[in-house]
Amino acid sequence: MKLIELKGVRKRFKNDLVLDDVNLVIEEGDILGVIGYSGSGKTTLLNMISGFIEPSEGEVLYTSKITEEPININKKLHKVKELIGFAPQHSSFYPKLTVVENLLHFGQLYGLKRETTVNNIKALLQATNLHSHRNKLSEHLSGGMQKRLDISCSLVHKPKILILDEPIDDLDYKLQKEILYFLQQINQQGVTLVIASHHLNMLETICTKIAIIHDGTVKSHGLLEDVKKPFLKEHFSINLTLESDKEKILSMLSRFPAKKIIDQGNNIIVHPSDTIRSIGNILQIIEEEKLYLHDMDFRKPTLNEIFEAITQEEVKKKE
Amino acid sequence: MKSLWLLIKKNLKLLIRSKSSALIIFFAPLLIILILGLSYNTSAKYGLNIGVYSDSFTADVESFIESLQEQEFQIIKYEGSLQKCVDDIKLGVVHTCVNVPSNLKIEENQAKEITFYVDPSKVNLVWMIQETLQKKFNLKSQEISEDLASNILTKLIDAKTKVTQEKGKLASANDKSSSASSLTETAQKSLAALDLKWPTSNYDTNVTTIFKNNISTEIGKSKTDLAAALTALDESNLSSSEKSAIEDKIDDADDNLDKIVSLVNGTGVGSFDKVSDLIDSLQADLTVSTTKLSKASEAVSSASASLTSTTQSIKESISAIESVQVGLEGIKTNLESQKVTEAEVITSPLITKIERVGQANTYLNFMFPALLVLVIMFSSLLLGTTLVMMEKNSPAFFRNYFLPVQKATFIFATYLTNIIITLVQIFIILGVSLFFLKSSFLTMIPLALILLLSATVFTFLGMALGYIFKSEETGTLASISLGSFLLFLSGVILPLESVSQTLRKITFFNPFVLSEKIIREIFFFNSPFNAIIIDVLILVCYAFSLFLIILVLETVLQKHLVNHFMKHHHRKNRQKDKMKKNHA
Repeated sequence: MKLIELKGVRKRFKNDLVLDDVNLVIEEGDILGVIGYSGSGKTTLLNMISGFIEPSEGEVLYTSKITEEPININKKLHKVKELIGFAPQHSSFYPKLTVVENLLHFGQLYGLKRETTVNNIKALLQATNLHSHRNKLSEHLSGGMQKRLDISCSLVHKPKILILDEPIDDLDYKLQKEILYFLQQINQQGVTLVIASHHLNMLETICTKIAIIHDGTVKSHGLLEDVKKPFLKEHFSINLTLESDKEKILSMLSRFPAKKIIDQGNNIIVHPSDTIRSIGNILQIIEEEKLYLHDMDFRKPTLNEIFEAITQEEVKKKE
Repeated sequence: MKSLWLLIKKNLKLLIRSKSSALIIFFAPLLIILILGLSYNTSAKYGLNIGVYSDSFTADVESFIESLQEQEFQIIKYEGSLQKCVDDIKLGVVHTCVNVPSNLKIEENQAKEITFYVDPSKVNLVWMIQETLQKKFNLKSQEISEDLASNILTKLIDAKTKVTQEKGKLASANDKSSSASSLTETAQKSLAALDLKWPTSNYDTNVTTIFKNNISTEIGKSKTDLAAALTALDESNLSSSEKSAIEDKIDDADDNLDKIVSLVNGTGVGSFDKVSDLIDSLQADLTVSTTKLSKASEAVSSASASLTSTTQSIKESISAIESVQVGLEGIKTNLESQKVTEAEVITSPLITKIERVGQANTYLNFMFPALLVLVIMFSSLLLGTTLVMMEKNSPAFFRNYFLPVQKATFIFATYLTNIIITLVQIFIILGVSLFFLKSSFLTMIPLALILLLSATVFTFLGMALGYIFKSEETGTLASISLGSFLLFLSGVILPLESVSQTLRKITFFNPFVLSEKIIREIFFFNSPFNAIIIDVLILVCYAFSLFLIILVLETVLQKHLVNHFMKHHHRKNRQKDKMKKNHA
């Protein structure tokens, strides 16, 4: 079911066009990943979805079972405020309040009864592993805990949609995984997620939909598989243990009809014309030359690769 | 309501958990009151050193010095040089130097000049010295002007006496003039009453001749008739005797007629001519008399005219005298209406006797209203600014935008947080005041209410500054500056009398001045509510207007502030990244 729809949205800051003709649909239960370089307009897009920034042109419509009729967020923000949770890039809670106090404060300000808020908080504390730190002042929490608390503050009133701006930035790998796991859990409970991040590999693991923004324009959007589809050009990677073996195989590969060979350090990515034949030939060479093959991977393109491909294409177009 | 309470609770927690702000909020007012209470809880005189210079320390100067010493001022005499005295002000040995003339008596029409030298850099001290010493000089000046006024009064009283005396003489002259006037009038009337006019009828003197002729004619006829009678008698048949008797009678009658004829025509004594002569003579006399009477009549007319003129002059003279009398009477009445005849009363109609209204108080009592408002003003201004700044700069500020809470609720929450803290402060201050000032507890209730109203105005002012200024430092600086400005234009530091008329009128609307005035009236004079209602209403208007301004500011600036907040955090994040890179 359609939850948010952006129709012909444009945003100008003075004469600077930050977003141009954005048309997006976010459906209930989606995990939409918004990716783009710094300054591409990701945060502006999120701010508009949250109703914080008004578009210069176009409209952001919100539909839900509660609102029934599509509502222009900017005109009737008060009607949908309770349905939106927003976790900005940087923590947004009171450092001098404890974890529980922060959650209680925001929960009750959303008009929830104390009991309901307390139950929500309990569930959130369990899910975020903050239960043992519930009475600590927020300023004394670690970075990861603060991020979890921040997301919890956005979730305490059980919104329909949670908008997150760089939720895993500044976090170590473990914490990143923890947060993403937590977000997946939330999504499973029926919360629609909109996540802006430049950690593409991590996003790829949880997002169901992707919107790629470049220079203020949505270059591609839709289901992750649909976004990948145009880039599904079969290729494989070879990982060799020794540098001398890598040189040998690269010289051999130059004899084969390959579209593209990318040297990525230990990895060699091959975009062949005939994949099966190429793989057979390479395996034969490795055997004959007695090379040390560490790993060979035959896979689909990553989100990172797709993003790079799209942005580079744009750069080339401009040139 | 629930949101309001939640926001207030949060604000209070944040304030209390910040140790420095908790210290300022609860202990600063206590400390201020304690220090000031201990410092000014005295009624000792000002410790002023006064240098007195005079050419010669005469009795006049000494008596003046004595009056200053009565006030417990330390007097230092400078006999040699005025400059030494002035130099000592610069060194701080004396606070003022007074140049007193050796003779304070005013003998000529020129005032004696008393100069006192003060150090203008010690502004407050200058006013204190001026105020205190001015009273002393006023007393001396009063003494001198009393002498002068006494002289003037004596002369006036003399004049009054003389006027009374002269007035008597004038009355006498007036009486005499009146009498003369009335006599003249009487004479004039008598003269006017004289009829000196000669009868206008003519006296025809021919009448006597005609009369004589007629008588002669008639006598002739009678004689004829008598002759005829005799003839007739002769012819009558009467006896001769009878005839003789009748003839005798007729002859007698004829004789008598002859005698009459001789009288009428004769010139002798008893003749008609004599009568005629007499009449002529009378006629001549009458003519002479007529001439004389005519002249007399003219003289009377002339005298009458002169008398009329004299009467008029006398009347005018009387009128003038009466006018003078009325004038003198007026002067006398005027002089008598001057009930105040005491020179002392005339020179000092308003006695500058200094008496304390109410009980004798310590300086703390006098300072108390200003002190209360001062503490409330600064704490409310700073708290208002701090709370808004705290919220604006708080990481949670951004999240507040998404809360379904109205702007007015946030403003009220901030305001009520401030008011709760101010209430605590008011309790502390008034509690301590009860100990130091021994005031009635009942007085403290209206005082607390007024202080709450003042706190409301100052809180809103502080909040407005919080919204206007970007950083906490500039906001705090602005609220301190505003507080200092209001304090400076309140009369606490400099008397309001020293500022220009226009500015003085404006300062009456200074919330500090209004609050202090209301508190002073309640605290010192227990004034009823209707005496302070206008000031209270002005404060209420201030509070209401400021609330509206804040609401507008909040609405206009919110997005701007959130943008600012985002930029600020973005900048912070960049700095963090840089630091990480540098570390790496």
